[in-house]
Amino acid sequence: MKLFEFQAKNIFRDAGIHVPESALVKTKSEVKKALSVIGYPAVLKSQVLTGGRGKAGLIKIVEDESAAMEAAGTLFSSPHRVNNILVEEAVDIEREIYLAITVDPVEACALVLASAEGGVEIEELAESAPEKIFREVVNLEKGLQPFQIRNLVNVLGLEGSAAKETAAVLSALWNVFRESDAELVEINPLFLSRSGEVLAGDGKLILDDNAAWRQDRADAGREYFDSEAAFEAAKEGIPYLQFDGEISLMCAGAGLTTTVYDLVIDEGGTVANYLEFGGPNYRKADKAMELCLKNDSKVILMVTFGTIARADVMAEGIVSAINKLKPDRPIVTCIRGTNEADAVKILEEAGLIPLFNTEEAVRTAVALARGDA
Amino acid sequence: MGIFIDNNTRVLVQGITGKEGSFWTGHMHSLGTNVVAGVTPGKMGQEIDGVPVFHTVRQAVAAHEADAAMLFVPPRFTMDAVFEALDAGIRKIVTIADGIPLQDSLRIRRAALDAEARVIGGNTSGVISPGKAMMGFFPWWIERVYKPGRIGVMTRSGSLTNEVTAMVVEAGFGVSTLIGVGGDPVPGTRFVEMLPDFEADSETDAVVIIGELGGTMEEECAEAVASGSFTKPLIAFLGGRNAPNGKRMGHAGAIVTGGKGDVASKAAALRKAGAGVADRPRQVGGLLLDALGARR
Repeated sequence: MKLFEFQAKNIFRDAGIHVPESALVKTKSEVKKALSVIGYPAVLKSQVLTGGRGKAGLIKIVEDESAAMEAAGTLFSSPHRVNNILVEEAVDIEREIYLAITVDPVEACALVLASAEGGVEIEELAESAPEKIFREVVNLEKGLQPFQIRNLVNVLGLEGSAAKETAAVLSALWNVFRESDAELVEINPLFLSRSGEVLAGDGKLILDDNAAWRQDRADAGREYFDSEAAFEAAKEGIPYLQFDGEISLMCAGAGLTTTVYDLVIDEGGTVANYLEFGGPNYRKADKAMELCLKNDSKVILMVTFGTIARADVMAEGIVSAINKLKPDRPIVTCIRGTNEADAVKILEEAGLIPLFNTEEAVRTAVALARGDA
Repeated sequence: MGIFIDNNTRVLVQGITGKEGSFWTGHMHSLGTNVVAGVTPGKMGQEIDGVPVFHTVRQAVAAHEADAAMLFVPPRFTMDAVFEALDAGIRKIVTIADGIPLQDSLRIRRAALDAEARVIGGNTSGVISPGKAMMGFFPWWIERVYKPGRIGVMTRSGSLTNEVTAMVVEAGFGVSTLIGVGGDPVPGTRFVEMLPDFEADSETDAVVIIGELGGTMEEECAEAVASGSFTKPLIAFLGGRNAPNGKRMGHAGAIVTGGKGDVASKAAALRKAGAGVADRPRQVGGLLLDALGARR
């Protein structure tokens, strides 16, 4: 789960990392009130989960109240569904640094990344000047060692109190990474202010959903999802992605569903939603179909090749979902795997025409979506 | 003989008394797998499909000299179960658990590397040498997929493996050993680490890898082919060719970030190295025929 900036900064603050003075607001009048405390200049930062907020115009620097009111109006009415704005003091910045902790799947260690070129997209820097990104590989059993922190602070060219404070930030960031079971923690940029402060200018924190059971975390609310269907799917534990095309995918297995997506695009079709009802969800055909029907799709395409997720059980589920939900659009089935002969019988008895070949099923669905079949 | 496992491998099943553990122990047996002992804390004295159950791995290994561990253990207990097997001296471990915490999976792989052990998984169906033995949960009786033969298969996926392997069989081939490295971002064993075993295996003529977007495992295989360390024909099918950048599609490991790990660059690296790349599952059979000709 990716957190909003304000949530990441709250966690950073609790861990002892300084952040600029700020207030989280939901309305224009709250913006005004917050600025009466924080003062000008200030920064209005839209709290959305998409990257590249600066380029998208979702972050605005304001010098006075009238500019602040205008900017707040623009942000709250943007198509990006801005529910919250973080009103933040504008820091007088001397330097910007990049810090992150992520994983190295080959070495099976954590990877601490640092660069003196903060504020830019790290992917772009990795492309254009990889030598400007410094790394320390950290064995989780040992943890981030003081010498590794000194190495990083040294190559960043920091001295005196800036060095000391950045070292403290790295140490705190490591604690956040470990204690929150993070996949990624990033401060980009870390501000070194002219008055000598070291502050997290931004905060990115992606938590590992697989570790939620040992963390005290609230479930992700509606604001974390880009559609109602995606939110409902998440509550059911059904993998779901929202698109805006014509074919609803109701398939099984991550790899197979992704491959069906590829084939649909290859055949000139478009995808309304990606949905997996395999694995632990193979008895959830009616919920899966209900989610597909929430889309404006023209056809539902089902492709499975299950082993534990038995084909006959899936076929029964599909037929019962059809009887219950009476879908208003055609359904293409390609249900194979364990007990597939029984599955065929079940589908045929329900009046469906079961297919066996994935590519044929995809072509049929694309033709139906086009109105050709 | 199969690589990783054959019918001489002395397999211990951790979590043997659970629903999945007991069910699949039966099927591992019926394929010919030599399951010698089981472990479930607190359940010593029971028998599952004729296999004696112990409280701890150490006890089971002492009594039955197991040399491989098959884990039917939930994700939250997987790291402990792997550490227990490693501590008892076992150096071949398969874990099917889907949902191992990321930082646990780092510690599992690190421990395996330090012990010079192989941990396969999690988030996989396991390892099978059709007609011989398996550690995992494959419905090995489905001939359309698990037909014995001379093609090695490695995969990050489940259902897609059935789809692709069915094409291998349809083209007249069969499978020597299939290794599911799993769909997690930090698999215990990477594709490239199993290539030397396939290279050395006299019963494998070529290897098919079923990869997908995200990570660098396919690129590592390309390097192994380019450097000449793997010399048998390598054919890849890669899912997620049209996946949009930044969306986590399917497996947790399957995400393209900042243009790294996309299928186009993986395919280019593999083709440049001399491997075959199928755009569609169906093409895998044809590419194998081109590479092996009459050798099927």
